Amino acid sequence: MEKGQETFAVETLSLTKVYDGKAAVNHLNMQVRERAIYGFIGRNGAGKSTTLKMICGLARPTEGEIRLFGKTADNPCAARRIGSLIESTGLYPKMSARQNLIMKARCMGLTDESQVDAALNITGLADTGKKMVRHFSMGMKQRLGVALALLGNPDLLILDEPINGLDPEGIREVRQLLLTLCEEGKTIIVSSHILGELSKIATHYGIIKEGNLVEQIDQESLERKCKDYFQIEVDDCRRALPLLLERMPGLQTEVPEGGLIRIYDLSDSAWVNKLLIENQVQVYASGFHHMDLEEYFLNRMDDPENGRKAFHGKKAFHGKKAFRGEKEGERHV
Amino acid sequence: MFNLLRMDLYRMKRSKFIYICFACLLLVILLCYVMVYLVITPKGQEIATKIGMVEIDTGHEISLAVADEKESFNEKNALLENVTLLDMYRESNMDGGGYLVVFGIAVTLLVCGDYQGGFIKNIMTIHKERWTYIGGKLMAAGILNFLYLVLSFVFNMLMNLLFGNLVPAAPWGGLVFYLVWVWLVSMAFAALIIMLCVFSRSTAIGVTGAILLGSGLVVSILSSITNQFNLSGWTEYTLYYNITYGPSAYTSMADLRAAAVGLVFLVLYSIVAGIALMKRDI
Repeated sequence: MEKGQETFAVETLSLTKVYDGKAAVNHLNMQVRERAIYGFIGRNGAGKSTTLKMICGLARPTEGEIRLFGKTADNPCAARRIGSLIESTGLYPKMSARQNLIMKARCMGLTDESQVDAALNITGLADTGKKMVRHFSMGMKQRLGVALALLGNPDLLILDEPINGLDPEGIREVRQLLLTLCEEGKTIIVSSHILGELSKIATHYGIIKEGNLVEQIDQESLERKCKDYFQIEVDDCRRALPLLLERMPGLQTEVPEGGLIRIYDLSDSAWVNKLLIENQVQVYASGFHHMDLEEYFLNRMDDPENGRKAFHGKKAFHGKKAFRGEKEGERHV
Repeated sequence: MFNLLRMDLYRMKRSKFIYICFACLLLVILLCYVMVYLVITPKGQEIATKIGMVEIDTGHEISLAVADEKESFNEKNALLENVTLLDMYRESNMDGGGYLVVFGIAVTLLVCGDYQGGFIKNIMTIHKERWTYIGGKLMAAGILNFLYLVLSFVFNMLMNLLFGNLVPAAPWGGLVFYLVWVWLVSMAFAALIIMLCVFSRSTAIGVTGAILLGSGLVVSILSSITNQFNLSGWTEYTLYYNITYGPSAYTSMADLRAAAVGLVFLVLYSIVAGIALMKRDI
């Protein structure tokens, strides 16, 4: 299919939601490709849940349009292709996991209860028996929420904080489950504050701030943007920098503040230290830096216009932890 | 809508509150028959004396109080002369608004249960057309209403048999007519409670509303206020008034007023509830 004709699993056109005169979501243009795992990131109150609620039909947009698989959101066929877990898990506390699933199955008009058993098996809740949901741990409730979302074999899964309250094993299981579902051809929108986890599965990202979609980016572009740099702390930049540029004229460098030099696209760092030390430039510290999703997100929040600008600024220097080299004991003094 | 009904029926079958509310209705009928039995039948009077409901002085002379009681017994016997099984049924639960209160509480728990646990999100994601939710709830309430009315009447019949046919059976035609319009009026009350629950999303408000509105307290208070301004006719068009004073048999077109009032309010409250649900986010 040509790019121009590509249908998106979710496409919002100038989606807006206003509460008490304040825009919780402001002219949001979101595009989620089919078969993608879309990580939806934003601070608390940024408008993530409101956006997801509008996509699921739980909140009415004040303005704008939502298209699901090329059809308008109020199309019943499109609605049936969505499975969702928004905010807290919606459950009947005095019923068992199976009964909750049967309730939703009936609500959907499913007659085949084998789907209920399949959802219980996938989420590891098959052996909960008659135990009432109110006696479930938070993680079990969360899994049941995912099971409810999976019922009816939806093409689009919308999961708002699906790993909240899960133990590490549970998080891993959900991650594996989402990856498997994506391989099966499902589109998944996940919002989570655990960005490390999100970065392990997401193929695309959308960053929202104060109701505005700051950026939509795919994994490859993100990796390019988060490319490594080698940072070196010296006593005299004015001497060090010409030495480096003399040795390698095409070197991409930056001096964020006095004494610090950043070198981009550097694969071998050994010669840098050697060169500086041989020329009597004192090297206090050096190491590779790689920005992860969390850092990128935080920088994007600080400077929505240009994340890289902020990243190059003072705030991007996160001390020892940011230096891979230092962590590995490569500190040169 | 029918899928929602299937879901609600599944839930109702497994919810304790449905059975507890029904047990309350049966308990009132039972108590009603026990009281009538103790007051009307000689054996019952004997038991009443034994358990201390009637005092007898130590000198084996009937006291004035007992004489009064006996007079009262005779009066009550006379009063029961024209009472039928349907009248007993009406007196037990229906006429005081007790049925509306209990049924209203059951409807509140049926609707607010969706909101309390958040299951409403699962429902509304699938049924984006909000009217189907109101329709589904009304159908579920309608079935529950039918079962409550019919089964409690059957229990009423059984109690009458058990206590030795205290009152004669009512004509079937009148009974069916009564149950139909009572069903309509109580359905209008269910729509009112659904509307209240959709607005408030609170079980406490729903239950309080069921008690205040079902028992006629609100109507009484408003009536006493409007009476000051010679505006009293409106009470005849309230659900409480109609369920209390509605006809036991069809004699003229005027007897259809209760059913008409029920139908009008059923439609009105359903529309308001639907609009409220559409306007508000989940």
